[in-house]
Amino acid sequence: MDVIGQGVKEGILLILSLDPELIQVTLLSLQVSLSALLVSGLLGIPAGTFLALKDFAGRKLILNIIYTLMGLPPVLAGLIVFLVLSNRGPLGEWQLLFTPSAMVIAQVLLGFPLVAGLSARAVMSQRQEAYDTAVMLGATRTIAILSIIREARMGIIAALTTALGRLIAEVGAVMMVGGNIQGKTRVLTTSIVLETRMGHDSRALGIGIILLILAFIIMLLILKLEKRSFKDDSTIQII
Amino acid sequence: MTVLFKLSNITKSYGERQVLNAKALEIRAGNIHCLLGPNGSGKTTLLRIMSLLTPNDGGHLEVLGEAVNWQPSQLLRLRRQMAMVTQSSFMFEGSVYYNVAYGLRARKTPKKEIQQRVQESLELLGMSDFIDAPARYLSGGETQKVAIARALAVRPRVLFLDEPTSNIDPSSSLEIEQYIKHINQEYTTTIVLITHNFFQARRLAQHTSLLWEGHIIEEGPTRDMFHNPQDPRTRRFLKGEY
Repeated sequence: MDVIGQGVKEGILLILSLDPELIQVTLLSLQVSLSALLVSGLLGIPAGTFLALKDFAGRKLILNIIYTLMGLPPVLAGLIVFLVLSNRGPLGEWQLLFTPSAMVIAQVLLGFPLVAGLSARAVMSQRQEAYDTAVMLGATRTIAILSIIREARMGIIAALTTALGRLIAEVGAVMMVGGNIQGKTRVLTTSIVLETRMGHDSRALGIGIILLILAFIIMLLILKLEKRSFKDDSTIQII
Repeated sequence: MTVLFKLSNITKSYGERQVLNAKALEIRAGNIHCLLGPNGSGKTTLLRIMSLLTPNDGGHLEVLGEAVNWQPSQLLRLRRQMAMVTQSSFMFEGSVYYNVAYGLRARKTPKKEIQQRVQESLELLGMSDFIDAPARYLSGGETQKVAIARALAVRPRVLFLDEPTSNIDPSSSLEIEQYIKHINQEYTTTIVLITHNFFQARRLAQHTSLLWEGHIIEEGPTRDMFHNPQDPRTRRFLKGEY
């Protein structure tokens, strides 16, 4: 219990100290995870929508692969990106290994299947009536599809929050392709690992608390966005 | 009177089961034309083909003077002259205003005109007070009135009504029937009405086609069909035996 109490205290002190190194690590964590989320969203939402709405040979197989990749172990994602970006790998000449870009690529590998798979489920849960109503009111096919995405937005926002939760807390992939280099690729999660290995349990816990606060603030912002777009949605009344 | 829909030998099957085999049907401008028949007789399939939501397997289909080729540009052009209200109308997430304005926004109508048309349509249906209400929180009768206002806002030449009153109480049902008549008379909108309720067909439609197991078995002025049915199955249907 002492370690936990000490950790909380350390966390508060760390925040108050405005330690420049910690600020840099926190900003890099945010930059990597939010960039990966942005790319995962930009690729995953259209891909999920396409898979949900377009019937073609192999669609079910692709969906199954995406659902499987939703559980891709971060270390494995890291290893794949490591092999591709290492000097012997096909993209070795890009010299991206041990840079924040490599960390973003590895995290996209983790975030994309989550966003695509959950977006596909959200769009698939929409009824045929939504599309029929839109086209019978004179919408073009594109507008009708956008209307379906709009109807599915609660599920899509859930997909993005789930992905963000996974990305910001992820350590295996960023450690493997980033290398946890001080001032270059060190992020909050890899800092926790490092501090724990060095026996600084309280400091590690303190950084963990900062990570949690960060995740809490981002989720709060997303939920606020969600609420704004669902003015007429209330919770289910259970009596 | 102009013929708006001309169908010949229209067929539709789902797997092995043929659900529609309509030899000939013409729907003329300005009428309320009822597609009457028991459940499973192919009424909705026929309506979905006429409204270009479901392609037919065989036969010839002419809609608003054009042979249908199912090309997206043609579908858009033709559908923009139609509107539809189904038995449990789908409402988009958002306000009544958002829903009624939907078709006008799709047509890129200027904002001021959208506001005016939405207001007018809701007023006609007695739903002005609900303009800011969330559309998914309305009662069944209110939803149907908003759906009719939404259809009306785009000033369609043809309005398809698929069992528009089957999920609502009798008094709201009669009220909606009054609006249907009014829309037909005031706006000269052609209405294609699906119902299994022959009293409703008699109250509203000038013309009726009776469907039976995917076939149109009798067709003509509604009054004649009720007073002097030709097909024995029509007589049985009118006696309520189905």
